[in-house]
Amino acid sequence: MSGWETALVAASITAVATGLGALPFLVVKTVTTRTVAYAKAVAAGLMMGASFGLVAEGAAAGAAQTVSGGVAGVVFMLLTQRWLAHREVAFGGITGASARQMIAMVVVMTVHSFAEGVAVGVSFGGGATLATAITVAIAVHNVPEGLAISAVLRPGGQSVWRCALWSIFSSVPQPLMAVPAFVFVERVRPALPYGLGFAAGAMLAMVLVELLPEAFEDARRATVAVAASLSLVAMVAFQGML
Amino acid sequence: MHPTLAVLTWSSLAALAAVLGVLPAALDVRLRLAWLGWSNALAAGLMLGAAYALMAAGLGDHVVAGGAGALGGVLFVHATHALTGTADLDLNRLDATDPAYGYQVILVDTLHAAHEGVAIGAAMAVSLPFGILVAMAFAVHNIPEAAILTSVLRARGMSLVKTALLAVATNVNQVLLAVATFAVTAAAPAALPWAVGFAVGALVHLVMVELMPESYREAGTVSIALVTVAAMGSVVLLVGGAW
Repeated sequence: MSGWETALVAASITAVATGLGALPFLVVKTVTTRTVAYAKAVAAGLMMGASFGLVAEGAAAGAAQTVSGGVAGVVFMLLTQRWLAHREVAFGGITGASARQMIAMVVVMTVHSFAEGVAVGVSFGGGATLATAITVAIAVHNVPEGLAISAVLRPGGQSVWRCALWSIFSSVPQPLMAVPAFVFVERVRPALPYGLGFAAGAMLAMVLVELLPEAFEDARRATVAVAASLSLVAMVAFQGML
Repeated sequence: MHPTLAVLTWSSLAALAAVLGVLPAALDVRLRLAWLGWSNALAAGLMLGAAYALMAAGLGDHVVAGGAGALGGVLFVHATHALTGTADLDLNRLDATDPAYGYQVILVDTLHAAHEGVAIGAAMAVSLPFGILVAMAFAVHNIPEAAILTSVLRARGMSLVKTALLAVATNVNQVLLAVATFAVTAAAPAALPWAVGFAVGALVHLVMVELMPESYREAGTVSIALVTVAAMGSVVLLVGGAW
């Protein structure tokens, strides 16, 4: 296997791993407003934890670029939310607020994937050890991401199968970006902190403007907070272990 | 400066920041709820950033001990709120004069100061810049806390000086616990990952259970999100670049 093929295979594995996040929903399927709120709280914690890692990684590659990327990500997310708010959108036969959030979720996660794909691709330019570490890290990190997507999609009425597919879909940019990133390592590398910052900004804006306030609205504050805190800490600890 | 003296100085400064919360009353400026929200969001962002930085730099290979400590921190904050009946208390009533609310505010301010002290001590044990960062995050948090306390006490006719003293007094245990935690972790380095974990859990949970829901109600979601992201991002960038 040549270099770019290895990168493609690795990034495809990370993409498919995202679908594993839907599996817990084979067992759990209660969809009361309160359950949705707790799922949102868990997703908020996981996404916040993941975005810390992105910002830290971006800062190592270039702080100013990460900031510009982050500002663009926040603005992008706020504009997307505003734009979707004024449109009647349909998502798998569901309309209204929940469809808007599902689309936002998939869009954010998909955009987020670009940077991860770039990371996988670039790491293959940095040697086998680095590439293996990054691939394993991103594949495992994708599982809670799929869980976060499914936590929004499943209560919205999507089947587990479709949750898995949308989760994988959100990671399709990984193999798509990994190959050109590998081939043009030197040219894409300067763009990496912008991408990392953008992904972090967009995720944080979504967590803080939508997921968290809605979770607090729909369920007991203390329980929502425990769920969000524990999942945030778990995500950061998990990243620390890799 | 002797390390313990540095801990004492910075945690005292954070405690003294409470005096700034009395300023609006002293200058006869009408408090606006949105200001409280934004300062809470600023504190929340600083705390989240500090929590991440502590975890990234302070744990090393002791992820399990740190994780267990963090679980302890979350449960501790949860338990103190639940056991004192302050789980759903919002520190945002600007015209409250009833003694019950006043007592609750003092109780919450004092409880917060306790795990804030542990967090400052643990952060100081990791490194001085970390300790200062965490102490400053709490200093920012102490200001709106004191502002609410002030509005309750002033409405009940207490003098400005006494109000300022009481606002600082609620934070005294912060100084004591900062020094104690620092001393313990210095004497027994094995305790450091546990203390760091506890601090991280307490910081994160304080933000989630208290600052975020409160500030959303005070200033709406978008402005709160922007302030929080900016503060959090600055800390993580600073730490990612500097340490």
